[in-house]
Amino acid sequence: MRLRDTRQFVGCQAAFWPSLPVQGLAPGQPSGIVLPSLAPPMINVQNVTRRFGGLTAVNDLTFQVEKGEVVGFLGLNGAGKSTTMRMMTGYLPATSGSLRIGGFDVLTDSLEVRRRIGYLAEGVPLYREHRVSEMLAFQGRLFGMKRADIRRRTGEVLDRVGLSDRSRSLVGKLSKGMRQRVGIAVALLHEPDVLILDEPTSGLDPLQRVGVRRLVSELAEDHTVMISSHILPEIEAVCGRLILLHKGAKVADGTKHELLKKLGGSHLKLVVAASSTDGLRLKQALGGVLSKEELAKEGSIFVRERGDALEATLRVEQNPSEAVGLLAAARGWILRELSWHEPSLEQLFGRLATGAIEQEEESAQQAGLEAPDAGEVQVKAATDSESTQRKDSSDTDSTQPGAGA
Amino acid sequence: MSGFRAIFRRELTGLFLTPLAWVLLVAAICLNGFMVIYALMGSGGDVDGSFNYMLGTSGAYWMLMISLPPLLTMRSISEESKGGQLEFLLTAPVTDGAVILGKHLAVVVFLSVLWAVVPMYGLTLELLGVSPDWGQMGLGYLGAVLVSALFAALGMVASALSSTPLLAAFLGFIFNIALLVLPMGAGSLGGTVGRALTALAGKLDVLKHLQLSFMRGALDSADVIFFLAWTGLFLFAATRIIEGRRMWS
Repeated sequence: MRLRDTRQFVGCQAAFWPSLPVQGLAPGQPSGIVLPSLAPPMINVQNVTRRFGGLTAVNDLTFQVEKGEVVGFLGLNGAGKSTTMRMMTGYLPATSGSLRIGGFDVLTDSLEVRRRIGYLAEGVPLYREHRVSEMLAFQGRLFGMKRADIRRRTGEVLDRVGLSDRSRSLVGKLSKGMRQRVGIAVALLHEPDVLILDEPTSGLDPLQRVGVRRLVSELAEDHTVMISSHILPEIEAVCGRLILLHKGAKVADGTKHELLKKLGGSHLKLVVAASSTDGLRLKQALGGVLSKEELAKEGSIFVRERGDALEATLRVEQNPSEAVGLLAAARGWILRELSWHEPSLEQLFGRLATGAIEQEEESAQQAGLEAPDAGEVQVKAATDSESTQRKDSSDTDSTQPGAGA
Repeated sequence: MSGFRAIFRRELTGLFLTPLAWVLLVAAICLNGFMVIYALMGSGGDVDGSFNYMLGTSGAYWMLMISLPPLLTMRSISEESKGGQLEFLLTAPVTDGAVILGKHLAVVVFLSVLWAVVPMYGLTLELLGVSPDWGQMGLGYLGAVLVSALFAALGMVASALSSTPLLAAFLGFIFNIALLVLPMGAGSLGGTVGRALTALAGKLDVLKHLQLSFMRGALDSADVIFFLAWTGLFLFAATRIIEGRRMWS
């Protein structure tokens, strides 16, 4: 079954099916039964757990990836990224749970799954004693491709990764960046539906990284791509959706924007000379800029004195700097600083590393909060917004201890 | 099937693209050349006896048989599992058995090329005017190939068990020696263990099967099946070990 970009089509079916009469049903049977979608998610990971002896590498992981999505796997070293990818390729069996790729079960229909996957393992394992073209021919034969197809695709994929002039080079003699690209070419050769790239940019110099990043963005146009990395700018640049793993469990899932929004921590910083106004008036005036909901949130505006200046922090999602600038001009405040701060994925990682997110998760569980529905952005960590904001602000601005407390 | 062919082909070309294979090949040719001359001189020009000695009784024959297969198979699984190439193969649409079989067959073909040196010396003698017994020579050669296949299969087991190539080679070496020595040593052990080992040794006597059939120039299909069956069993074991490794590694 080869389907190309059927997402909209499937969406229509999902919307219409429940109301359509179903043929072939015995009278009296309910017609509004839920039928399985024709095109299942490209990647369907259900409650997957993997243990290595006493160590749980992946813990009850569930996610779906639709056709054409580019999903980034984020996580510290040992978060379970590689293990999950290896389970998706069928290299490692899951201790429990099920994985399906293109509708096929990874364990029972292993060969069907493998045919649909292009996998670049960590470290780019290629046969160094072969030439690039030989390596590609081997991959083609492994996948049972015809000789003419292999020749045609070899030209195409080498062109795509920009190594057309290197097909006669020995793999072992290539630079690391080039070898990485050969690895991607090998993974692409048999036109897989799903591309799984494990750390495709590790060990590359910045220029090579940009090259690989551009390549992956191009591939995203007609492949479902899963890519893991701990180099954040890369993932941010390439992936429409991010799945954040920590200690084998999914911590967050969504677009970068959604992730950051849910995590909170974006704020406007305003510093005015104390001689031009006082704290109370400043706070009242700034309140006019915020919406009612924003104003209702505790600690959305925080003003304090710092020497001969007043420093105000507005915790809002949208950047209000223009409105605040106009306000400052109208009120005659002497502006010293007006800046918009957004948290970055680096800060998110920093919090992961220091265990902040785990603590918050625990406190959220103790408070009896349930995890949001699957499919929505899940940021369990952000449930305690007060402490999140506090941590983020201390990350952004070290001169602002205890803000919002 | 196409996957098996692809792996076999890559393994064989891969072997000839590495220095190790060439070093082994040259060393074996030199040793065999020396042995031919030694045997011919020692036997006073007994051509058939010399080749019989070359392909079955000489120390050099068994030394090469014990040591070469593990040196070749150590790369097949152990080194590739370390370098990640095994992961590459096992995530391709090829069964584990096809991977093992393809790799094993490549090693066996390489060893058959290596042992083809001995008939080459026969050909040299033929050209010089002394014709060896080609039937016996052919069977001796077939025996050498079958013994190589058996020892290479044991080497694959060792390779699948070991995390480093060096350990794989050493373990394979030990396995091969144990296989040869088992029939001789088993009887000396008393008790239940000794009896069990003797019973096993009766079924696994490589020397006996080689000497009874191939070295006498009389082919018994039972002996061919003996070698093929044990080879298959060890390859099956290697496949299961690889599958098991996925569970723990």
